[in-house]
Amino acid sequence: MTSIGLGHYLVVSAALFCIGLFGVVTRRSLLVIYMSLELMLNAANLALVAMSRFNGNLDGQIMVFFTITVAAAEVSVGLAMIVALCRKRRSAHVEDLTTLKL
Amino acid sequence: MTTEYDPYLFLAVFLGIALVFPLAPLGLARLWAVLYSNNKPGPIKNATYECGLESKGDARVQFRSDYYLYGIVFLIFDVEALFLLPFAVAFTGLPMGAIVAMLVFLLLLVEGLVWAWKKGVLSWT
Amino acid sequence: MSSIDYFQLLKLAGPEAVLALAALAVLAVDLIWMREAPIRQRQGAGAFVSILGCLGAGLCALQMPGFGSFANGMLVIDPLTLLLKGALLVLTVFTVLLSVDRDFTEHVGEFFALILLATVGMMLLVSSEDLLMIFVSLELTSLSLYILTAFQKRSALSAEAALKYFLFGGMAAAFLLFGLSLLYGLSGSTHLGGIAEGLVGKENDPLLIVALAMTVIGFGFKIAVVPFHLWAPDTYQGAPLASAAFVASGSKVASFFVLAKVMMLGFAGVHGDAGWRHLIAGWAPLLAVLALLSMLLGNLVAIVQGNVRRLLAYSAIAHSGYALLGVMSNSGEGMASLVYYTVTYGLTTLGAFGVVALVEERTGSASLSSFAGLGRRSPILGLSMMVFMLSLAGIPPLAGFFGKFYLFVGAIRTGSPNIGLVWLVVVAIAMSAVSLYYYLQVLKQIYVTEESAATVDVTGETNIVTCCAVGALAVLVVLLGCFPNLLVGPVLAATGSAGL
Repeated sequence: MTSIGLGHYLVVSAALFCIGLFGVVTRRSLLVIYMSLELMLNAANLALVAMSRFNGNLDGQIMVFFTITVAAAEVSVGLAMIVALCRKRRSAHVEDLTTLKL
Repeated sequence: MTTEYDPYLFLAVFLGIALVFPLAPLGLARLWAVLYSNNKPGPIKNATYECGLESKGDARVQFRSDYYLYGIVFLIFDVEALFLLPFAVAFTGLPMGAIVAMLVFLLLLVEGLVWAWKKGVLSWT
Repeated sequence: MSSIDYFQLLKLAGPEAVLALAALAVLAVDLIWMREAPIRQRQGAGAFVSILGCLGAGLCALQMPGFGSFANGMLVIDPLTLLLKGALLVLTVFTVLLSVDRDFTEHVGEFFALILLATVGMMLLVSSEDLLMIFVSLELTSLSLYILTAFQKRSALSAEAALKYFLFGGMAAAFLLFGLSLLYGLSGSTHLGGIAEGLVGKENDPLLIVALAMTVIGFGFKIAVVPFHLWAPDTYQGAPLASAAFVASGSKVASFFVLAKVMMLGFAGVHGDAGWRHLIAGWAPLLAVLALLSMLLGNLVAIVQGNVRRLLAYSAIAHSGYALLGVMSNSGEGMASLVYYTVTYGLTTLGAFGVVALVEERTGSASLSSFAGLGRRSPILGLSMMVFMLSLAGIPPLAGFFGKFYLFVGAIRTGSPNIGLVWLVVVAIAMSAVSLYYYLQVLKQIYVTEESAATVDVTGETNIVTCCAVGALAVLVVLLGCFPNLLVGPVLAATGSAGL
């Protein structure tokens, strides 16, 4: 018999984090990059909840409450920026962010 | 007496059912199509709807980017409501100061709404 | 459950509360009474209310009823945090002054409100020893700064700069949060002191190494050290001027202080050692690598820059490298030198950006060549820029010299065996000499190069407020350089009483 322990949760959250990081690095569409960023934050949330359960105190879960709202605020700021860029450039892709260069 | 079972077994069974449930009807429909119906395409048969209005234009409609403003405002207010749940659960045991603090939080949200309203974000032009 | 005295908490968080109220007031004033007014008047009113708010917050901070750590370390009030709050308020006032009479947006109230909110975030950041508060206030600061960067809606550069800043910042936030979550999991506490206690005996846990690396990466993005610096040049170049100046000054002060706190208090047991041929795994060698790379790359790339904003960005990266020395020395003295260094650096950069603003308005660009003949056109501006550039290069008797001096002395005096951090200090001094080259390039343009047709005044109108702010900053930099004890004395007293 095996039981699901802290290690399992941490592996899942690390995997989510890596998937998110991979998405941020490789994807070209800004919206998909945002989704990947959210995935990274949610990986941390999962880790926090699991740790909170195994540490036996609620601090981690309280932190998750705040990070969820922070993530929402972050997304709305980001979306607003995409809209602003779209109005100027008619594009939402990373390749077009090339005006500023060395 | 509690039954000892492997937690992964549960997931495996669930996965099996989840796969069979949609695949079985699809497979049956396919089988039916191969056995009993013959392939006779025509302009009417290939239309999006066999009866009703003719569809015009592209199915993918783009929203105006103004719509994002509503989306963003909604997102913020929606997620801030998250803090109301623990507040409501713990409501009966809370001291006066906590309730005042929460009211201040709500007032700030109202302030945000008033700002958006005054700024003209909510009027669809 | 311990009950909290909310009224007392409000009193302790008074400066932040006053600033937040001021932000709301700025919004209200702009939206209700100044709607139809011309943009200059709206900016004047917004700046007036913002500065009033800063003064109110400063008064509030002076009348703090008592020192101590409240609400489980979420709010720490001691002389050092109060001093930093004061410094941040001064930087904010100058940022507000730099954004007056500058035509870049029609959303005036929101701009000032966001500056104030960013300041609230920074003030909470410096006065917190709890992971939750650190993360939330860091995000409050960062989100406000992202929007401030994107504020010039007419310019596509601004939007692009903001997006880059946002993407890197978002990654940093994710890394930081993951690192902090692992840290919490290992120690079972979100309070920095509790974390240090919880980590005892787990120094070799692989998870701790991951947590440390991720936390350093997260903060590394915020303070723009190599190799996490890619956003800085673009943001400095594309952002509206006041925003760029604020990103370069206020957020640096707050981020460095909180980084030092997290490392010195939270990771107290895993300091390691970065001494020459005496490396012990821990956070010190990690930061040493970042500092080394930043000093080398920042200074060398700055040499080839043709745009003064980008030059300032790369010089900022180099300065982040120097400032990391203060964190690495892991002592009260190191902390004091770090505070002195970042504050004087903030003042100097604000001033330099002020001069860039005036030149940009006259000539339409921030390229090196548009500074040609500035010394003849307006002697005061030329002189101020000379003060700022020489201070950044670390020439005595200016503030930048003493900042570097204290940092290097603090780093040399660390307890590592052999020659300790001296190798890094040698690199830092050598790179400072290199940096003199590109700072002098700017001065050469100002004083030696002849004015060309392209650099003659386009508008002819001078922005009085910015001129006065630049002058005041130059005087401050000279004053703090000639009498460093004005700031060093209080800082040392404060770090002493904070028990670091």
